Amino acid sequence: MSASQKAKEKELAEHIESPPEDGEPDSSSEDEGPELEAAVGSALPEASTASTASKKKKKKRSKAVKALSALRGHKDGLPQDLVNVVLEKVRAEGGEAAAQANEETVRLALEHMKIKDVIQGKAGIGGKGKKDAGDHKFWSEQPVPQPGEGAPLGDGYIEPSKPPEEVRQDPYPLPKDFEWSTPDISDSAQLREVYELLSANYVEDDNASFRFQYSAEFLRWALMPPGYHRDWHIGVRVASNKKLVAFISAVPITLRVRDHVFRASEVNFLCVHKKLRSKRLAPVLIKEVTRQCHLKGIFQALYTAGVLLPTPVSTTRYYHRCMNIPKLVSVKFFPIPSNMTVARLARLYKVPDRPYLLDSGLREMEEKDIPQVAELFSRYMRRFGMVPVYTLEEMRHQFLSGLGEGPRDKNSWKSPREGQVIFSYVIEDPQTHKITDFFSFYSLPSTVMSSDKYNLLNAAYLYYYATDVAFQDGVEEDDRLKKRLEELLGDAVIIANACNFDVLNGLTLMDNALFLEDLKFGTGDGVLNYYLYNWRTAPLAGMRPIDGVPEGRGIGVVML
Amino acid sequence: MIMLDLCYTSLLRNRGYRLLTLLQCTTFHRHRGRVMSLQNLSPAFRDAAQYLSNATSLSQVSNAIKLELYGLYKFLTVSPTPNTSRPSLFDFTGRAKWDAWDKSDKTYGASSAQAEARYLEIARSLGWTESKVSAPPQDVQQTNEPHTVWDEELGLEVEREAREGSGMGNYVSVMARPELEDDKSLSGIAISGDAEGLKEFKRTHPSVSLNRLDENGYTPLHLACDRGHLAVVRLLLSEGADKDVKDADDMTAIELARFSGHDDIVQLLES
Repeated sequence: MSASQKAKEKELAEHIESPPEDGEPDSSSEDEGPELEAAVGSALPEASTASTASKKKKKKRSKAVKALSALRGHKDGLPQDLVNVVLEKVRAEGGEAAAQANEETVRLALEHMKIKDVIQGKAGIGGKGKKDAGDHKFWSEQPVPQPGEGAPLGDGYIEPSKPPEEVRQDPYPLPKDFEWSTPDISDSAQLREVYELLSANYVEDDNASFRFQYSAEFLRWALMPPGYHRDWHIGVRVASNKKLVAFISAVPITLRVRDHVFRASEVNFLCVHKKLRSKRLAPVLIKEVTRQCHLKGIFQALYTAGVLLPTPVSTTRYYHRCMNIPKLVSVKFFPIPSNMTVARLARLYKVPDRPYLLDSGLREMEEKDIPQVAELFSRYMRRFGMVPVYTLEEMRHQFLSGLGEGPRDKNSWKSPREGQVIFSYVIEDPQTHKITDFFSFYSLPSTVMSSDKYNLLNAAYLYYYATDVAFQDGVEEDDRLKKRLEELLGDAVIIANACNFDVLNGLTLMDNALFLEDLKFGTGDGVLNYYLYNWRTAPLAGMRPIDGVPEGRGIGVVML
Repeated sequence: MIMLDLCYTSLLRNRGYRLLTLLQCTTFHRHRGRVMSLQNLSPAFRDAAQYLSNATSLSQVSNAIKLELYGLYKFLTVSPTPNTSRPSLFDFTGRAKWDAWDKSDKTYGASSAQAEARYLEIARSLGWTESKVSAPPQDVQQTNEPHTVWDEELGLEVEREAREGSGMGNYVSVMARPELEDDKSLSGIAISGDAEGLKEFKRTHPSVSLNRLDENGYTPLHLACDRGHLAVVRLLLSEGADKDVKDADDMTAIELARFSGHDDIVQLLES
């Protein structure tokens, strides 16, 4: 980009009014969760530096010095010959616009194109020297904790929020043949395009045995929470035929990370068509979704990935409660231990028919429960380091939308409803009618890639839960909480089994470590890394205890 | 031939080494130039490497063997020692692979012939035979072809080998697999479905009864029926295995086959 172009952009930006944004929640709304009100005001974001940040600063400074010297002359490492040749070409072919071209602008442009890296063989042009989302060069330029930096000296942002006029106004350029698009998730045809793209391509490699199969109902639930922004559903289409070939999304979330509460975006569903994995689309998608978040005044983000990027705030491990043993063995989800037969395995993993708590007030969550559940939830979530802070409206969306079509009565735990995504249950004390506990799980099936017999793995994933047993005095010293969670989530297993799920999955987060093994969840081969964008905090306890925080208790956010 | 390297990567990944970072995917681009040296290798090696690149038997072997194969392959095709620094402690896969490569050098040093012999030995144990010579590899020539190809579905020029990872590692977790030991016992043979191994076992242990329950309470027939190894079941029956023996859970071979859904075996046992 030339200097004049930059100036133009700035001029343009100045004409655009700052978007109405207010970091504070609307305090007049009665929908605010109790915790949100208390916490948001108290925690003004502040910058965080890592204990070895001086090194980073130096690096930044040296970058600036480099850019300056590039403006002045020859210290940028670009050969004079090259600059001369380009300048000549520009003057010869550039027409009127090229009249002002001089050595400095050419150097700047070349620097911008990173031509030096090409010369030095660090990068390539076009298809060669491919980079992708896991590329550390890309991440080294992002406001994320860098490898090797020490523990943060305090929690806070890495890079200050930009005033609206400084946010880039134009979309990032795409490679030729592609164009940006904003699929309308509320439109069923466009929603179908998104889930078809994800279903066919949302997987790392062709050798995988399973691939997530998102449904329309699932994506609607996941992508359209209260206050969602259409601009945050970002697609890339082939310019000539409009085929959707890449996607990324963000949804708004209020996060508490240790003592700070802030608005952030939850970035998910990054997907590039398998055949286009070399086009460097992923970094552009990430930059574009970041820009869209900036335009709405959001400068922090939460995302998860199976891959290791710079730098996880926590790593959790998958656990699986296998239920439909013959099928799980047949599709190679569950290897048979050498001292077993399938029949013996099935007997060991047999699930009771009827929920334990059915006679103690277990029932599906209803609209009228929301205030009580919200109270219980926000109180329970104080146990964990990083948690979502939901308004009542958000609670309603998370637990009572995507319930599917069909009757909701006392027998509905026995089978899923058509299109049901989320399964939410409460325990209502039969005497006091108080909601004492709740639990939930969601449905996310996978396509089975390598079986003649089965083509769908019906998987459920543990979602949020809470119990008021956690608020009793001295509960950390005995196993009252563990026992209650075993009963509660044991019923989640029973209901998931009754609803024909083959497996119930969970991660080592929240209090899951207290019940996973006793409820016969087995260790998975997958991990899920949690990342924060533009926020520094010390590592949170996931699959391992950290600094006296037990396993899992650092993480209280379940990502879909 | 870059494919081969990729296959090992994917295989390792499939065996619980899922922490593969995308960084590693870029490794072989650096090697692209040197992989050409493959043409100097023996046809047997090239054939074995090609066989292994999509051998299903690989799914049964331990990571140790896979790493050894990886190390030998890199030793033979790229350079004797890894040409990068040792990956960090947190990059399990990268580190294990680097170590395997390094170990090949320490073990075989200057003798690439010995390294190749070892590679072929493992390949044979996984079902490769020299007679299985397939079409001559076209690896070297391919680099001269244009690397893009017209894709009808997308209406675009796409990379010929568009296998670059570019997602965020969103694979579906499954139950972790225990390390498989190479179990040469009768039960081990029945579990792995190794019909040749069973013949060999009968020849070398003629007096061992096929109807004896093992320490877990199963006969070889129970295990073969449970795992769905039709050829082994047929062989066991022809060797006089008793199909009415009950296992420790009071189940017969046919009940086990039925429970696991191996209809072909059920039919065989019923006939």
